Amino acid sequence: MKKLLVFLVLSLVSIGIFASDFVVDEMFTPEKPKLGGTLTIRLSSAPQSFNFYGTLDNAAYTIAAQFLRGLVDLNPITFVIEPALAESWEVSEDGKEVLFHLRDVKWSDGVPFTADDVIFSMDYFIMNRFAEGNEIARFTIGGELVRWEKVDDKTVKAYLPEPYGAFFNVLSHAYIYPKHKLESKIDKNDLGSVNRLWLTNTPPSEIVGTGPFVLKEYVTEQKVVLEKNPYYWKADKWGTKLPYVDELVYLVIQDDEVATAQFLAGQIDYISVSPKDYPYLKQEELSKGKIMVFKGEPVKPTPSPVHITFNFDTKDPELKEIFRNERFRWAMEYALDRNRIIEEVYNTLAVYGGTPVLPSNKAFYNPNIEGIRRSYDLKMAEQMLDSIGIKDRNNDGWRELPSGERFEFVLTSSSAQENQDIAYIFSQDLEKIGVKVHLQILDPTLVSQSTLSGDYEAAIGAFGNQPDPQLRKAIWQPGNHLYYNHLSTMNKETSEPIFEEMLEWELRIFEDFEKAQITMDQKLRKIYYDDWQALYAYYVPFIYVCKGMELSAKQSDLSNYFVNDEGVIVYLNETLFKK
Amino acid sequence: MKTFIIRRLLIMIPMMFFISVICFVITELQPGDFATQYLNNPRVSPEQVIQLQESLGLDKPAPQRYWMWIKGIITKGDFGYSFAYKRPVGELIWERMGWTMSIALLTIIFQWIIAVPAGIYTSLHQYSAGDYTLTFLGFIGISIPNFFLALVLMWLALQMGGTSVGGLFSPEFIGSPWSFAKILDLLKHIWLPVVVVGTEGLAGLMRVMRGNMLDFINAPFVTSLRARGLEEKDVRHHIIKNAVNPLVSMAGMQLPDIFSGTIITAIVLNLPTMGPFFYNALLNHDQYLVMTFLMFIAFMTQIGNLIADIALAMLDPRIRIN
Repeated sequence: MKKLLVFLVLSLVSIGIFASDFVVDEMFTPEKPKLGGTLTIRLSSAPQSFNFYGTLDNAAYTIAAQFLRGLVDLNPITFVIEPALAESWEVSEDGKEVLFHLRDVKWSDGVPFTADDVIFSMDYFIMNRFAEGNEIARFTIGGELVRWEKVDDKTVKAYLPEPYGAFFNVLSHAYIYPKHKLESKIDKNDLGSVNRLWLTNTPPSEIVGTGPFVLKEYVTEQKVVLEKNPYYWKADKWGTKLPYVDELVYLVIQDDEVATAQFLAGQIDYISVSPKDYPYLKQEELSKGKIMVFKGEPVKPTPSPVHITFNFDTKDPELKEIFRNERFRWAMEYALDRNRIIEEVYNTLAVYGGTPVLPSNKAFYNPNIEGIRRSYDLKMAEQMLDSIGIKDRNNDGWRELPSGERFEFVLTSSSAQENQDIAYIFSQDLEKIGVKVHLQILDPTLVSQSTLSGDYEAAIGAFGNQPDPQLRKAIWQPGNHLYYNHLSTMNKETSEPIFEEMLEWELRIFEDFEKAQITMDQKLRKIYYDDWQALYAYYVPFIYVCKGMELSAKQSDLSNYFVNDEGVIVYLNETLFKK
Repeated sequence: MKTFIIRRLLIMIPMMFFISVICFVITELQPGDFATQYLNNPRVSPEQVIQLQESLGLDKPAPQRYWMWIKGIITKGDFGYSFAYKRPVGELIWERMGWTMSIALLTIIFQWIIAVPAGIYTSLHQYSAGDYTLTFLGFIGISIPNFFLALVLMWLALQMGGTSVGGLFSPEFIGSPWSFAKILDLLKHIWLPVVVVGTEGLAGLMRVMRGNMLDFINAPFVTSLRARGLEEKDVRHHIIKNAVNPLVSMAGMQLPDIFSGTIITAIVLNLPTMGPFFYNALLNHDQYLVMTFLMFIAFMTQIGNLIADIALAMLDPRIRIN
């Protein structure tokens, strides 16, 4: 009896110990781990800061994501929202209040994490408009800010001005900062002073977090070393604490060729691969067997999928009218040979993608667009052009406008190789049907400058496809500053949408986005976004070309890095280990 | 000599001022600024861009910004903040100075050790097989783009089973304290940048040395030395002493090249030097960083010239600097 009691007490204690550890999704840990060792990966540029909210630098984001965590997490494969620093939450019936119960965890220096940290991070970083990388726009709903309140040490409450569909998605990008380390260093009279914290010369001991790793050392322009955070709160299904490796090293390697060379030399454990290197690396895999090369279904927003668009506000009135005519845009879609582009530009390593939600995105993809999408058919393209009066009137092989002038336009593309190649293939096909295209190849920054100011006729562009369409509404919803093929739908002074300027179907898209934003019901949100995708597929304001597949390679001895049954590459830095 | 140096130093002040104006105008001519590059970033709202412009002072008129910058330099020795790094630019440049200088000096030494003897040899054996071979190799070095040579050499190293590709150290030695093993590791890596960057200037130096030598070999004073019965070894000594003079001037001009001449190669070789750093600053519109760097290069050019002039005066007693 006594033994049984001891056993019971011990079991209860052990449950108590593990209760606070959150178990990572089983899909990430198919193999039983071997602990210890170092994981070395590439960073394509040196970080400019370690302060996620004080910079707009991608390298800094990559590093910060290893040592910081938010209230909730987004599963990078399934895009399901998971608990993180908030153990659980309750949404009020009207969808305007969310109560978060915080996890009992410690910062990497051993200090307990509390509600004060959440409020501090919201006030001074996430919703501080002087912080360079602030998230204010995402926490503003209907012109009003989300309000945060501490209930007690382990509970915080968010008051939303109105229900907000993407709230949890937005929260998964909002990292919580340590109040005890930073509060005294902020100049309360100069809120911009938060940008000058956690710089590249800050001693690593000053930078603490709640993520799997913690900063150990930064060697200028050469490497960033992170070590295991002893207080990390995730474990695997066997109860082993994460992360498995002791150290995570980022080597700063700017040049792709050097990165590939270092990977082949065994100095980097995994690396993303460009379509042009894929065949060579595959050959290395087959001949030497030291590495494994993967191609996966695209899931990440980057690299951004390429699209072709026509400026509804272009200066030439005749062109403007044609560009606004959907029959013209259908003709252009019929003239786009996606298969040839996938084969020749992407070495067959690309998929059709969506409009623009990716087919792998279970939460929001509308498969009906596949029936609407127009396949390559030059005959149909010719018919469409004929039907709107763009015909070859003088038998010189080129089509003319009803006014008798030759129909021609300038297609602006960035000098990025893929975009150039796509522009060239597209213009060749258009020449076959008598449409003269002048290619204008510019430096990427110049392209975005001319497109965002509306100074172009047609353009090849690329914007990412975030898992939740709400996060990209600035691009895809008419009346926003990045809806660059119809900029007149927004008042530049007030940033307000101008409904009179919107075409009928644009108004519907506008409404879809508005409704999906203020709905907490995810099923209903999908219906709105399905409608948006179908409208995009039918009216083709943007002709989506394709999306490159996710290509990567790893050393053979790296475990828990694999392609799952659905063809998606699965891994997390915290669950990787070396055999 | 003293007055000469002082005069030259004083001339530098207005010179640097004009250069600063030119640097500023050049960076202003670049379309856009640090903040506007984020306009097509969906994570950044237009309000954020405006806020950023205000906080960085980018909304002020150009002359005012120039004045603020130059005032900081004169009154406080402050060259401004880097927009991207939020740190003083002087500090950032200084952090990267060590490796930049070391690699550059090694490269120059490598060039001179090979180019000067090769130049002497080819001139003394004019039109021989050795002359042609060395000249041919030299021209190959000059005509192959550095970054390409770097890639080829790295590929070869990789094919031969080497693991020391790119960078200055293997990952485990980066940032570790100095040890014999670390020095050995450095030697395994550093030959690549030194050879790659070195070969470019090598042929030029060699040809100049050869040409100078040839000029002097047939000079009347050499004939006269020979006529007086001087041994060939001593005659050569006199020729070389004379022929080396123009190289000293060239050495002065090499100083700024050290910092800016090898940007692409440094990126390809993954070197932690100023080249890639400057390149990124340019792409980033990190204006004060770019201007300070340009000013620094200009300053180095002037200092290099001054040193070359002084060295020349010391080497050649015929030169009167007054």
